[in-house]
Amino acid sequence: MDAIQQNNILQVDNLNVFYGNFQAVNNVSFYVKQGEIFGLLGPNGAGKTSTLSAIEGLIKQQSGTVTVAGYDTLKNPLHARAAMGVQLQATSFQPELNVAEILELYASIYGLKLTPERLRALLKEINLAEAENKKFGQLSGGQQQRVSLAITTIHDPKLVLLDEPTSGLDPQSRRQLWSRIDTIREKGNSIVLTTHSMEEAEAVCDRISIIDHGRLIATGTPQSLIDKHRDDPHVIAVSRRGKITLEDVFIALTGLEIRA
Amino acid sequence: MEITIPKTSAVLKALLKADYITLWRNRRATIMVLIVPMIIVFSWKSLVATAGGAFVLSNAITLGLVAIGLMGYTNSIARDRDKGVFQRLRVSPLPLWTIMASRLIVQLSLILLLTVVVFISGYNFDHITMSIGGYIITFLISIVGGAVYLSLGQVIVGRIQNPETVTSTARLVYFAFIMVGMFGELGVLGDQFKTAVDWTPYGTVKDILAASLEPSKWSSHTTTALLLTLGYTVVFATLGIKWFKWSNK
Repeated sequence: MDAIQQNNILQVDNLNVFYGNFQAVNNVSFYVKQGEIFGLLGPNGAGKTSTLSAIEGLIKQQSGTVTVAGYDTLKNPLHARAAMGVQLQATSFQPELNVAEILELYASIYGLKLTPERLRALLKEINLAEAENKKFGQLSGGQQQRVSLAITTIHDPKLVLLDEPTSGLDPQSRRQLWSRIDTIREKGNSIVLTTHSMEEAEAVCDRISIIDHGRLIATGTPQSLIDKHRDDPHVIAVSRRGKITLEDVFIALTGLEIRA
Repeated sequence: MEITIPKTSAVLKALLKADYITLWRNRRATIMVLIVPMIIVFSWKSLVATAGGAFVLSNAITLGLVAIGLMGYTNSIARDRDKGVFQRLRVSPLPLWTIMASRLIVQLSLILLLTVVVFISGYNFDHITMSIGGYIITFLISIVGGAVYLSLGQVIVGRIQNPETVTSTARLVYFAFIMVGMFGELGVLGDQFKTAVDWTPYGTVKDILAASLEPSKWSSHTTTALLLTLGYTVVFATLGIKWFKWSNK
């Protein structure tokens, strides 16, 4: 591992994922530096979640390597997972457990002792001080999201993976989540998030990659991608307000047709 | 970059705590699982004199084991898989076997509770008493018998992804085991059927349980039944683990 790679909290090299004969991820390579927020953008079925799932260890890649905090996810899966905090697209917990019990369970799984004081502080931090004894299913979408993120970051992971974290949230909850993402970064931790929202990508991400048909088709800062494609006739053709946006670049690169 | 992973024992302890809380909060379902064997013990009072106390108790325990394996375990696994509970656990730094080990330990505890409830019911309703050795061996054998139905439940939840289909299939198999096993055992369905039932998972488990209650009556037939029980467990567990998927998405 060279000096540049050592600084990378996540290193993905030549990743290939197949479902039967269908190739969901095609030779994908990228890295995420310490303290960086990296966005993975793509239309439905482009391969975002499959890429994330391979990093998380939920599916096994056919070839390629994924290294998290220096640990190969296939050779040292437990170390790699200990360095990660993961928020899945659809998260659920045992419906019989209340919020406090869920937090205690996951703290213990990460080897942490959650004292009653720490638990109260944690619940206060996510504005759920009154919801300690509520079951997860009794919470609103925004509250569930906050519990889920609290669990994701309970062990102060080096790398946080968020799969469409703001999907279905109201603007207030979305802004609150963005500010929590900033807090995670301020601690020096890195974040990879997938999103459909270009507004979110521009507001939150330091760098983004656009993925389509399993391939990375563009990588850079949101502004650098806009600048690079500003004069592209396809981008100008799809531009709606005269001003080129990240969404125009995204549509021009991935096409206008609706994906399943 | 040094990353420490939590101790497996601490992880298992945390999972067990959560699973026992889940069992406690679902205590109505647990009570239902225990009530059926109690009804058997109560309603078969007249058979104690003719067939023996061991026959009644072993049938009651066997029915309870079928319910625990096919209804309790299978349904909880199918539901949690469908809700994504396992996927959330799988992205945590825990060995995957601890998730299932915790679930199985909870079920084994339930099996021991069932055995105690049947012993107490047998004593109270039918005045059935066994030797201390018989009670102790029966605890061990009930775990061996329970393993057959837990592994059969694993086959169902491994082969079928949809939780509603899992529930209906488990109910169907449970019903088949009760009807064929119990009535076949009693000879209601004819002698040939009775012999066939003897070598089914219902018959072998009932046989080894009956013999464990009266260790002096352990025979070569019982040993064969024990070996067959272990064989069923190995086959069902192998298939169930092979077919099992952590997510049905």
